Amino acid sequence: MPTLSMIVNGKEVSVEAGAGDLLADVLRDELGLIGTKVSCGEGECGACTVLVDGLSVTSCIYPALKAQGREVTTIEGLPQDGQLHPIQQAFVDVTAPQCGYCIPGMIMSAKALLDENPRPTREKIKEGISGNLCRCTGYYQIVEAIELAAERMAEKGGAR
Amino acid sequence: MSTRVVGQSVPKKDAASKVRGSRKFPQDFNMEDQLHAKVVWSEYPHARVVKIDISEAEALPGVVKVITAEDVPVNEYGIIIPDQPVLVGEGDKVRWLGDRIAIVVAESEDTARKAGRLVQVEYEPLPVVSDPREAMKPGAPLVHDERGDTNVFRHIKIRKGDWAKGLAEADVVVESYYVTPYVEHVYMQPDAGIGYIDDHGRVTVISAAQWAGHDIPQIAQMLDLPQDQVRIIVPAVGGAFGGREDMHVQHLLALCAYLLRRPVKMVFDGSEVMTRTGKRHPYYVKYRTGATSDGKLTGVEVEIIAESGAHASTSVPVLEAGTSFAAGPYVVPNAKVDAYAVYTNNAVTMAMRGFGTTQSAFIYEMQMSKLADALDMDPVELRMKNLFQDGSIGLTGHEMPEGVGIKEALRQAALAGGWKEEDGRWIRPDLGPPSVAHKRRGLAVACGLKNVGYSFGSDDKATVGVQLALDHSGDIERVTVLTAACDVGMGAQTALAQMAAEALGVGYNQVRVSLVDTAKAPDSGSCSASRLVWIAGNALVRACQEALQKRDQILMAETGETFVAAEHEFRGLSVRETTPYDAETGMCVPHFSYGYTSQIALVEVDTETGETEVLKFWAVQDVGKAVNPEMVRGQAAGGVHMGVGYALTEEYIQQEGVAKTRHLSDYYIPTVMDMPQEFTSVTVEVPDPTGPFGAKGVGEMTTLPTAPAIISAIHDAVGVWIDEFPATAERVWRAMQDK
Repeated sequence: MPTLSMIVNGKEVSVEAGAGDLLADVLRDELGLIGTKVSCGEGECGACTVLVDGLSVTSCIYPALKAQGREVTTIEGLPQDGQLHPIQQAFVDVTAPQCGYCIPGMIMSAKALLDENPRPTREKIKEGISGNLCRCTGYYQIVEAIELAAERMAEKGGAR
Repeated sequence: MSTRVVGQSVPKKDAASKVRGSRKFPQDFNMEDQLHAKVVWSEYPHARVVKIDISEAEALPGVVKVITAEDVPVNEYGIIIPDQPVLVGEGDKVRWLGDRIAIVVAESEDTARKAGRLVQVEYEPLPVVSDPREAMKPGAPLVHDERGDTNVFRHIKIRKGDWAKGLAEADVVVESYYVTPYVEHVYMQPDAGIGYIDDHGRVTVISAAQWAGHDIPQIAQMLDLPQDQVRIIVPAVGGAFGGREDMHVQHLLALCAYLLRRPVKMVFDGSEVMTRTGKRHPYYVKYRTGATSDGKLTGVEVEIIAESGAHASTSVPVLEAGTSFAAGPYVVPNAKVDAYAVYTNNAVTMAMRGFGTTQSAFIYEMQMSKLADALDMDPVELRMKNLFQDGSIGLTGHEMPEGVGIKEALRQAALAGGWKEEDGRWIRPDLGPPSVAHKRRGLAVACGLKNVGYSFGSDDKATVGVQLALDHSGDIERVTVLTAACDVGMGAQTALAQMAAEALGVGYNQVRVSLVDTAKAPDSGSCSASRLVWIAGNALVRACQEALQKRDQILMAETGETFVAAEHEFRGLSVRETTPYDAETGMCVPHFSYGYTSQIALVEVDTETGETEVLKFWAVQDVGKAVNPEMVRGQAAGGVHMGVGYALTEEYIQQEGVAKTRHLSDYYIPTVMDMPQEFTSVTVEVPDPTGPFGAKGVGEMTTLPTAPAIISAIHDAVGVWIDEFPATAERVWRAMQDK
């Protein structure tokens, strides 16, 4: 089986992966990064969203071998020195998570959005998470959390 | 009542670990030496199983065992009626696509899946009944022929006052026929879990659940084991909405672990959840409402046929709850209601947010909207004339208990939505021009109420424990709340921690809540019926009071002890009586307590396509006391989300018992773009004296008025009543062509 080498959350990793293996399964089963959630398994709900070279992808349909040599960021890669990333902290502060199963994917989509557009309008935020389904929250507190994070990050001098 | 921690939007106990992605859901658990299981599902909605050949599957390298009916010690289960086989054996019947033939257990998931395809099953197809109205007719195919000679397994009758006179003497009668759709819960975390034998030899399952304590007797019966030999651990649960009241994997994993004595993991894929797990009941409803010309209700006549699908699940209590609210939060002096629960070969239907009362809210609120239209009366004003207040006599002859907040909820909603009140008359706002010429705007209101706790004389109870760690001077340092109440996401653990902090006079951060493990925490009953804040909260507050008394005794006796524990079992019947339906008249005291809600929708309908957009939405909920206001707002927004999908897009389609909606991509739950652009949540607090700090419940009721508000607003916009929903663009467009 081929060896897949990639940078995951800043660390180089090598795992065996076959042509049929999906990135979500490699992250969860081989690397133990359970924060990446699988729900629909068909790229429809966004729960499995991770960043590959900074762009958000649905890892449940993303062939693992496509990540060869690339930089993958999962929800576990966001905190720095154990401190929650400002997006994560904002989600806590506005009571955004209910069941929480969609939340890592939501936060990763928000990260991709704010990296590209640090001060998005509400409409742009909604577009940014329109591929992420949530059944608990009605999305309002999630949108508010992303707005709050953008505001706080701007005060601190931009996204990291 | 002045409170310090209750009423504050403190961070949820589980929020930090959920945003980190570190909190474990059932599929996140793995054990040394674990095996993987896959289910072999029925291929027919109704057929006799002639032969099952597992030889080829068992011969596949890596397959450990193919479990079939003969391996199951007692091959039946069911949350209320044990009418479901765990596995269907040779000579027995499959009754829908969610019945199971076998469980394949293998060293890898891939092998289990491949082996599942090698199980050869020979079926003899039987006639399919896929419409409950047909299923009620004599001579219809019987789904459960072993249970009698009819597919009808519950008929509820309500006869109140002089129902014939109530309609005969009405100035206006509104008559309708409604069909409410099959819908899927769509909890985001697919059913999954791991079964194993614990260090004490107990059959143990880690899985999602809504009532861990009730899975135990079902599993113990299936395995013919004493109940203390079964243990359920419930980690983070990715949503439930009623869909996890029934067991989906718990019994299967218990069976695997029991037979193989090794850890066995099973994860459903999204399609299995969509096609093999239960749904919301469709109701087929004939409804007549009578009123005087000045808008006083004189009577209703209602027939409800609730489709149960292939097994009973919770259909009987769902229908009982739904029927008790057939006339909504309105005083109706005369009523005739007949409600039937009926088996078919379609998907099993089960609890789903509202427990049968969401469908009722659609029918009674559509009737009120139509009545307002027929009387040319403002819809707020019409409702105000008929709404319950404390002591009103309800549909089953009962007195509404203290704490009726529906008039205040409607008043707040109407004012927020732009209505003006002038001398008891309500005047609706001007809606302004549509965004483009071919669109039309519409505005409508709807109300709802939902019982809190189990009903009809059920001995609903919760046990909660509390442990205090004291410092040397007797001050409380840390508190642990012990409860097996499942937190499926809505924040039960947070609310309980807040109530414990309040009752004990400590900080919220000093309180932790135990993990849900039936071997270690007392049974607080189900996470359902919007009951946990009310009933587990009542148990908890009393346990806290007992713990404080014990602490004071320790201090007085100067024993130097630093640990105090107390546990309290609270029974709902100890504070309010409920009684079962009378068999002939239906008269009863149905419920302990109620939450109330009123919502308003502003929509815009495209006259060229029939598409509806919800522009603004106001949700008002009377929760007695908001333990955590931001969590209440989250429940309101989530309830409205489910209601928007119910109203406009969600439809689980089956043909002759075969699922046509097979994936999430075929089933349209609202995305963030589909939600109302503006959403306003207002919480009203009319206390219930039996609730902890006056609290009632909130979880379910927030979905109730959403669909009738939106669909009545569609009528306001384009003049068509959509009585069979969802009001998809196509349905609205066709209705407009037929007008």
